[in-house]
Amino acid sequence: TEVPTMAQLVGPLRKELADSLFSCRVLVVGAGGIGCELLKNLVLTGFKNIEVIDLDTIDVSNLNRQFLFQKKHVGKSKAQVAKESVLRFCPSANITAYHDSIMNPDYNVEFFRNFQLVMNALDNRAARNHVNRMCLAADIPLIESGTAGYLGQVTVIKKGQTECYECQPKPTQKTFPGCTIRNTPSEPIHCIVWAKYLFNQLFGEEDADQEVSPDTADPEAAWNPADAAARATASDQDGDIKRVSTKEWARSTGYDPVKLFNKLFKDDIMYLLTMDKLWKKRKAPLPLDWTEIQQIESSQEEACGTGLKDQQVLGVQGYTQLFRRSVETLRSQLIEKGEGAELVWDKDDPPAMDFVTAAANLRMNVFSMNMKSRFDVKSMAGNIIPAIATTNAVIAGLIVLEALKILNSDFDQCRTVSLRSQSNLMCTRPLYVQIEDGKGTILISSEEGETEANNNKFLSDFGIRNGSRLQADDFLQDYTLLVNVIHSEELEKDVEFEVVGDAPDKAPAPSAPEEGKNIANGNKDSAQPSTSSKAAAEDDDVLIIDSDEEPSSSTMEASPESSNRKRKHHDADDAASKRKRLDQQPADDDEDIIALD
Amino acid sequence: MTDNKTSKEQKYDRQLRLWGDHGQETLENAHVCLINATATGTEILKNLVLPGIGVFTLVDGHKVSGEDVGNNCVSITIFSKPKVTYMLNDVVLILQNRAQAATELLQELNSDVSGNFVEESPDKLLDNSPEFFHRFSLVIGVQLPESTYLRLGSVLWEAGVPFLICRTYGLIGYMRLIVKEHTVVESHPDNALEDLRLDQPFTELKHHVESYDLDNMEKKDHSHTPWIIVVAKYLEKWYSEHNSQLPKNYKEKEAFRKLIREGILTNENGTPEDEENFEEAIKNVNTALNPTKVPSATEDIFNAEQCENITSQSPSFWVIAHGVRDFVRNEGNGKLPVRGTIPDMIADSDKFIKLQNVYRDKAMKDAAVVSKHVEALLQSVGKPPESTSEQEIKLFCKNAAFLRVVRCRSLAEEYIVSVSIASCMDSTDSEMVLYLMLRSVDRFYQQHSRYPGVYNYQVEEDINKLKLCVNSLLQEYSLNVNVKDDYIHEFCRYGAAEPHTVAAFLGGSAAQEAIKIITHQFVPFNNTFLYNAMSQTSATFQL
Repeated sequence: TEVPTMAQLVGPLRKELADSLFSCRVLVVGAGGIGCELLKNLVLTGFKNIEVIDLDTIDVSNLNRQFLFQKKHVGKSKAQVAKESVLRFCPSANITAYHDSIMNPDYNVEFFRNFQLVMNALDNRAARNHVNRMCLAADIPLIESGTAGYLGQVTVIKKGQTECYECQPKPTQKTFPGCTIRNTPSEPIHCIVWAKYLFNQLFGEEDADQEVSPDTADPEAAWNPADAAARATASDQDGDIKRVSTKEWARSTGYDPVKLFNKLFKDDIMYLLTMDKLWKKRKAPLPLDWTEIQQIESSQEEACGTGLKDQQVLGVQGYTQLFRRSVETLRSQLIEKGEGAELVWDKDDPPAMDFVTAAANLRMNVFSMNMKSRFDVKSMAGNIIPAIATTNAVIAGLIVLEALKILNSDFDQCRTVSLRSQSNLMCTRPLYVQIEDGKGTILISSEEGETEANNNKFLSDFGIRNGSRLQADDFLQDYTLLVNVIHSEELEKDVEFEVVGDAPDKAPAPSAPEEGKNIANGNKDSAQPSTSSKAAAEDDDVLIIDSDEEPSSSTMEASPESSNRKRKHHDADDAASKRKRLDQQPADDDEDIIALD
Repeated sequence: MTDNKTSKEQKYDRQLRLWGDHGQETLENAHVCLINATATGTEILKNLVLPGIGVFTLVDGHKVSGEDVGNNCVSITIFSKPKVTYMLNDVVLILQNRAQAATELLQELNSDVSGNFVEESPDKLLDNSPEFFHRFSLVIGVQLPESTYLRLGSVLWEAGVPFLICRTYGLIGYMRLIVKEHTVVESHPDNALEDLRLDQPFTELKHHVESYDLDNMEKKDHSHTPWIIVVAKYLEKWYSEHNSQLPKNYKEKEAFRKLIREGILTNENGTPEDEENFEEAIKNVNTALNPTKVPSATEDIFNAEQCENITSQSPSFWVIAHGVRDFVRNEGNGKLPVRGTIPDMIADSDKFIKLQNVYRDKAMKDAAVVSKHVEALLQSVGKPPESTSEQEIKLFCKNAAFLRVVRCRSLAEEYIVSVSIASCMDSTDSEMVLYLMLRSVDRFYQQHSRYPGVYNYQVEEDINKLKLCVNSLLQEYSLNVNVKDDYIHEFCRYGAAEPHTVAAFLGGSAAQEAIKIITHQFVPFNNTFLYNAMSQTSATFQL
């Protein structure tokens, strides 16, 4: 049952490569659609030491493509079952499975340094950003990949040689997996999509793809029989609601806002709570109760946010009222239209929009998220990403080909491969793209009047966020300082920013430009645990050199030096040695690196 | 039963979004034959079983056993073994006559799919009962020798059964589709223009536009008027000043945009209000004013012989195409049936829904007229009107601008004329050279009953032998092209191996094409696909 190696398959692959397949350790992040295919391809190509990590459990909707899983595995750990299934056909492989989030701090830079190669098979940007940064920090090559329907892409990321995952701005993600919507929302958009679905389930055209109730086929349902009883009780509280469609049930209550509210935000949530596996690594939702909310002193609740009414964020009570009002309006609209009528959701229809705003925000509250204004809710929407076996198979094949090139140190052979829709056409482009030198936006200038307009703006107005780098130039001293901005939620009261890392000798004493205020108020999506921030020196020109760049990576590309110079410094360019170097060379062309680990 | 339906819906949720319930249904009614359970073959089969193909029949004469290792087929058997073991345990076991266990294992992969096995080589089947292959929706031949795929190709061509040839040869992937005629209603174009008819508004649309009076409107209504109405209104204005000619070029369109911009309401200070619908109108000028016409691909379909001569045997695609053609030439005044959909836009719900209904109602009316034509046509060839459904006609009308017919050349034609080989060899590294190399290794196989380089000790002498094959091929086709020695060395090096990563790539691609062919959705490639795993490039040729 020995599996032939790539060396056997394509005789001419160098012996060193063949050997390295046996000896190297690789990390596969994600054991889903791409991950299953990838694990198979890896062992069949001769990779021996593989570690795989995935937070998820197996869902029925995975089975149309994630071939390592079968019906009997529903509810079990993806990583663990994937490992077992692979070992069935390749017992000699040495596979370690982690049922965990890669973003868990246990998987630190040291962990990443255990591998010769990391392969992403992920489905969300936060984790992709995180792994990207970890691989850059550890200087381990990363193969990034993704599919959506018939589209797919594979990219090699190597510190100092290629673009990294975050070098190019990404459009806002708009599509989400169904179980995230129904059971485990983690971002406001999940709740907004859910609320839109809910609108259709209640008032519009019912769509089986737009279920809003807890996913009863969820892994854990079949997985822990002891829960079944508890769950039955929970659902019985509301009579037979599970057996009729949401719409029929709502109609039978006469679209009673209180009953609807209690079903959606109390009973369904309590039902979700019985799926305790879901909440082991997540914060459990907190059910809302209509009566209790009515008792809140209205004076305690004040709308926050300024400006237009639409841009204010109401409190739970405010949204509860909005929910009631919008349900009542929509109900009368429905009655007006007569028997069997349906409403069409339209973002520009006030009661429909009010309904979605209210329902989404109440759900955000249940799942402990910061609520959003009507304005923000309106600008967000989404669908589910289609996924099929074929595209994943193609992409996983491509990943291993790139992996072989990396192990062979053929970085110049590496390609970014895009699979275009429908047709089998691929377009490829060579990777050796230098990191962009930035847009040259001047933030603060000592030149009078030049940047006055910026004084009242926030850093975020310039797209500066966690990981942005600012370049401060003092032309008189011919002194350049690079500042890595890191987002922090944990600053003490009244502390606007904090400088970490060793300040270079010649640096002017740091002082706070007005922008500093907003540092702790920035990007909440950051994948990186952060410690502090550093503001630029007063009166210096501050230039955003690359707002999308990762803090500790490729610093050489960012500095305005010749490429020879970049190479020279390259080997010293890891987090540990950086600080040391800063101590020794406080002279010009220095960088202030803020520790990340 | 409903339980089963729900569980299927859950399981297939992510793919239903691509090809819909009706696509899934076609898939579940399909019967696919796959020849040879090699790495590539099993990958393809896996990718068809997972999304729920109805039935498959596996034809494989190779026995997988230790003895096979070391014979001429070393590369095939050694690499198929582990793959077979992991995914199609059933196959291995069947080949070893362990049917019971096989069925169980297959159920694990997808219990909705049923599989059959024929432990026979395709050549034997072709000798004894070529009609065996007639029953399938699609035949996929994997790693077949040239003589076999040529024979099978001609049998399937005659029977009208689509045939997909797949081959992983070292770091090269090859697919060839052979189908006489493949019709596609839902081609799912990437960037389809909307069908708004602003240049030639139908009566109902005209009336609807007339019901708006932009000059005497509350501000709220003015800024919630759908942009389609805005464009239509200003087009009238434009016509009166421009001899009833559409703005055609960039300059005219700019002027037209300016005209719309001037219509934005201003406040008491004379500054323009923020009217997003007008901004949308300005943004959409370019595509919205595209002249309405029948696309050439659809025109070609109307003019095809199959559309002209409808018989009782004509597939419904052609019958409906004829009906739509009749519509275009009569009631449609040269235009296709209205599609009936409009894009999302800034407008209040009431106005939007009213406008949407104008288009939707017209689409239904047009489809009803097409139905009448189809009905008459069916009657004239003695078929009952029920033989095409209302649903089918509506879908056809909605997609009338995107219809596709794929006609591949047969293998026989490919082997007689070398139409485009020389012209595609624009560089010595064109993927076309891979095609020539595959033809050459086939020639090698014909002469030596083995592929070049399968034994290490023979690689050197095989290089020269393969070179002779390349030259004789080029001579035979009078091709004045240069095949670099590097390629000859490379192909000897491959030793006909089937590396798994390449097999995985090709397995995914082939299954995807198979699904396109089965569901008649999306447009399959025509007719030769080559993939180079070293350079990560691919190309499609019509050979």
